[in-house]
Amino acid sequence: MKKAKIIAGISWVFFCLILIIILFPGLNSFSLSVSKLPFMKLNPRYTGGEIADKIISKNCTLVIRKPVFNGFLKERNSGFEQLDWHGTIPEIIKASIDYDHDGIKDFCVLIDRKNSKTVLDPIDRKIKGVLISTPTSYGWAVRIGLIK
Amino acid sequence: MDNVLKTTEMRKSFGKSLLYTLPMFLITFMFITGGKPNFSDPSSGLAMIMVFLLVNVLYFFMHFKGKTDKYRAVLFIIFALSLSYTLIHNMIEVRKSMSFSQADILECRIPFCHLVIPMMILPAVFTKSIIFPGSIISGFANISSMVVLWLVATIVLGRGFCSWGCFYGGWDDGFSRIRKRPVIKKIGELWKWMPFAVLLMVVLTAALSMMPTYCSWICPFKAVTEFEQVTSVESATKAGIFLSLFGGLVVVLPVMTRKRTQCSFLCPLGAINSLSNKITPFTVKIDKGSCNECFKCVYVCPLYALTSEDIKAGKVSLFCSKCGKCVDACSKKAIHYGIRGIPAGTMKNFSRNLFLFVSFLFMAVFSAGSIINTLHGLLKLIF
Ligand code: SF4
Ligand code: SF4
Ligand code: SF4
Repeated sequence: MKKAKIIAGISWVFFCLILIIILFPGLNSFSLSVSKLPFMKLNPRYTGGEIADKIISKNCTLVIRKPVFNGFLKERNSGFEQLDWHGTIPEIIKASIDYDHDGIKDFCVLIDRKNSKTVLDPIDRKIKGVLISTPTSYGWAVRIGLIK
Repeated sequence: MDNVLKTTEMRKSFGKSLLYTLPMFLITFMFITGGKPNFSDPSSGLAMIMVFLLVNVLYFFMHFKGKTDKYRAVLFIIFALSLSYTLIHNMIEVRKSMSFSQADILECRIPFCHLVIPMMILPAVFTKSIIFPGSIISGFANISSMVVLWLVATIVLGRGFCSWGCFYGGWDDGFSRIRKRPVIKKIGELWKWMPFAVLLMVVLTAALSMMPTYCSWICPFKAVTEFEQVTSVESATKAGIFLSLFGGLVVVLPVMTRKRTQCSFLCPLGAINSLSNKITPFTVKIDKGSCNECFKCVYVCPLYALTSEDIKAGKVSLFCSKCGKCVDACSKKAIHYGIRGIPAGTMKNFSRNLFLFVSFLFMAVFSAGSIINTLHGLLKLIF
């Protein structure tokens, strides 16, 4: 029994020794395999949600995302709607959005980029204000708070 | 008596120490320089060679002097300082500030660190997604590579990660060495269970809020890496918490107690790492036959991992980070590195040699990139 324990212990050590030696040369391929695991994707609360629509005008594209209500075990009552402007964006951005696709505009947003001012006209009562409005590497992004 | 000391002596002759360093020399040469040092940028080539020499000299001395902790600590502390330097330098170069903006969060550009891992687990299981604004696979400190590095280190070293792998631990390790004697000698035993309470709290709050709450509200190391831009009362409160916890648990208390108080009383990942001590092949063992119960080891342990009861029972607690401080302090060599399954008091040199090789190799290669980067930056400033 004692001998078996010693052999098991030493085998475990040598397995670990090999693991450490191959860890760094194999890091990229191990990481790639880990990145393919089903849970290795960012939660929509961080990505901003799936893309629902794109409105292309001149040199600028407005990306409208699906509303995000993701919670831990179930959807939450409050969430957000993210809009991204890509490309050459005018000084003043204006958009009227129907995020739930019911044919009625839900809110209008006006952004004065020069003064970093964002004005929201919450047409629908589910619209709860501007959570984030910020310049980004691709243009500008806005998150509008929503309730269900 | 002399005979006992002789057979348990960890020091090696100069030649034997060189021989033991040779495998480390060859492997770190391959891993750090890629097999051919590149001198197209002389300061970067020089930094690479300096780091390669530093790690090998430290490893040589571990064998030659038969001591572990002080040589380990040199690299561990340099690692912590250089990682912070690298991060801050990157942030200031790219963003002109130490804080990250809302755009960085929206574009998922926040570097991932292993302290997020405990908070990722429940959302990963229940929502099949990661609750962190970082990159899954591309770029610096991406989520996949950090998870792989931590997972392998934790399986192999257990809580040894906290003395041989974590790029934060060197901060309180460093401050705990400043005074020769502690001002505060005793802290209630119960405090060392605090990381488990913090772990439970952050795991639950992170799952409920779908936010890495420890990073957003508690992590003291935000003070030396990066934190949210102060634009509101909330972000100012967070910055205040980060700075006070850093000042209190990473600087002041370690200086006063000579213990690593942040790692002992706060870090939730330290709690998980402690549990992993149950599976790792390397342990610290007590040979009760040689121990004279002087309790020097209890006195020097920086992580409250040893009590006089542990010594009497002949068992090191699960908080042990295998730093080697107690091993170095024990004049009887009664406390020593061991391997699971091998009885205490036997194969001490064999166990120590294997443990040092594995743990030091991990630290040397993991830390090399940021130390080279830091040295490179400093050399550029000088020349
Ligand atoms: S306790 Fe936490 S901060 Fe300290 S060394 Fe371990 S993982 Fe790092
Ligand atoms: S320092 Fe050595 S001899 Fe003294 S109590 Fe610790 S293990 Fe025993
Ligand atoms: S028991 Fe020894 S090896 Fe473990 S943490 Fe304490 S001093 Fe370090």
